[in-house]
Amino acid sequence: MTTLPHLTRGRLARVNGVLLLLLAASIAVAVTLGPVALDWRRVFGSEAGVGPDAVILFRARVPRVLLAAIVGGALAVSGAALQALLRNPLAEPHLVGISSGAALAAVIALVTMPVVLGQALVAPVAAFLGALVSIWIVVRLAFVGERVEPTTLLLIGVIYNAFTGALLMFINSVVDLYQAQGVLFWLMGHVGTREYSTLAALGLYSLAGLALLLWHARDLDCLSLGDERAAELGVDVERARRMIFVAAALLVGAVVSVSGLIGFVGLVVPHLVRLLFGADHRLLLPASYLAGAIFLVWADTVARTVLGVTEIPVGVVTAIVGAPVFTYLLRRERRVES
Amino acid sequence: MRRSRAWTFAVLLVSGWLATAVAEPSPATTRAMPARIVSLAPSVTETLFALGAGARVVAVSDFCDYPPEATRLPRVGSFNAPNVEAVLAQRPDVAIGLPSPGNHENVLTMRRLGVRVEIVDPERLADLPAATRKIAAVAGVPDAGERLVATMAREMDAVRAKVAGAPKPRALMLVGQDPLIAVGPESFLGEMLVEAGAVNVAPAGEAWPRLNVEVAIAADPEVIVDCSMGTEAGTATLEYWTRFASIRAVKDRRVYPFRSFEALRPGPRLARGLEELARLLHPERFR
Repeated sequence: MTTLPHLTRGRLARVNGVLLLLLAASIAVAVTLGPVALDWRRVFGSEAGVGPDAVILFRARVPRVLLAAIVGGALAVSGAALQALLRNPLAEPHLVGISSGAALAAVIALVTMPVVLGQALVAPVAAFLGALVSIWIVVRLAFVGERVEPTTLLLIGVIYNAFTGALLMFINSVVDLYQAQGVLFWLMGHVGTREYSTLAALGLYSLAGLALLLWHARDLDCLSLGDERAAELGVDVERARRMIFVAAALLVGAVVSVSGLIGFVGLVVPHLVRLLFGADHRLLLPASYLAGAIFLVWADTVARTVLGVTEIPVGVVTAIVGAPVFTYLLRRERRVES
Repeated sequence: MRRSRAWTFAVLLVSGWLATAVAEPSPATTRAMPARIVSLAPSVTETLFALGAGARVVAVSDFCDYPPEATRLPRVGSFNAPNVEAVLAQRPDVAIGLPSPGNHENVLTMRRLGVRVEIVDPERLADLPAATRKIAAVAGVPDAGERLVATMAREMDAVRAKVAGAPKPRALMLVGQDPLIAVGPESFLGEMLVEAGAVNVAPAGEAWPRLNVEVAIAADPEVIVDCSMGTEAGTATLEYWTRFASIRAVKDRRVYPFRSFEALRPGPRLARGLEELARLLHPERFR
């Protein structure tokens, strides 16, 4: 690791403050961009609150931009936590299969549960459980004694993704056409327009995940040195790991239940943040959250504007940006190994 | 040398492709009445039954849900992916399907294995009479075909007459909600929307545009017809739209889940589906 200035309270506040300002600025700019050009006099003028311009801005565009921010933040911070836990910079919720596990559980719940039970509640709970089980399986398979071989982890991710993907396609083949369309939604990754109440719940949920991880920031620092080393430094390894599992599953489950599978955010963002500000998790975690929010706000802005009135799935944008970064990281990783 | 070999290969490839392209139309229609017909699509099944050829239909696709007699027949896969073995096992005299990118390979395979497969293509409303006549001809009942075409035209005209002259509401028809997938003007359903007496506000250029909801708000439709919902979820449709209170259709409570979606397939029930749609758009004409 490169040496960076020691983490002081001032530096922590400065970095997070700057990122917070950047996020606010990104949101402010992003809500001025969209497939429909707004007449700002009408947004705030006589038609304020009731005219189409105001409705587009406050009921369609702002909630969507905020949702992108929350989803991006949660994905990035869960990626950062997984990277420490698995001691591997290539760990990412989508690549190692946790997101697909969450999506699979949500889809199973949605097609088997009657509608009356309230899908709004069923999907997030199932996605959380699916994410939890998936993390457990992936981690159990990835650890060979003390170590996680980077390539082993990726292979496990490939296999786990193939397996959950196959089950999703199986479900897609047996359900009727209406439901099949729903299944495809989970696979595509899409930031939609949600009610503010949903956004508030999701925001709280993801901040709770972030807080839980921040509480274990020191443990994450120690765990990334290795289990033995962490134990020497006084970390209750098993307990810390369990808490981090739960926090990451909370974050991934919440995000997947509203936006399906969006890849690479948890990879690109923490890596960039680590490069800029160092690997201390007290800073890495909140900074990743904010930077992830900024990243997805812009990715979704591209997704909803680049083709005019027709949209592209945001997962397409993050993959186009993320895949080259992943390739670069993989090559660098192998150079370090040899 | 190497180059010339590449050329030979390319020429072979192209001529092979041409040969299949030319050979693709199936052998000349047998004049005899086929005794065992396999239908590979819901609209074909409905047409065959309406032609009175239902008794000779021995198997249907997974999605064939009408008429009730058809639902009791063996299934041979979805219209997008017919199962070659299941079709062969029925020893059909002919199989009739619609074109789709998904079934192309399987159709070619079935033909190679000696099954007569006829493809009808009612992609647009104007193609429907020809498609109906072709199904009738293949089934060996051309006269019934002419009668069905005439009946369908008459029924369609009756619905058109009902809505004729009425002011045309600006309407948005959806087949998916999250993300929003609209019915574009260049699609069969888009034509039906216009036939039912509406102005389609979905952007032109695509059959199924994936819309940002902003575009729907800006278009300010007077009626929203949502086909994406199953029967019990109609309320979810309304809930989704209520927050966009500036939309005329929301203010006037004219957001409708459309439940006769299946009738809008290019088959003999089309006029009934059209009437259901027209009823939503012009309730005053159906009192």
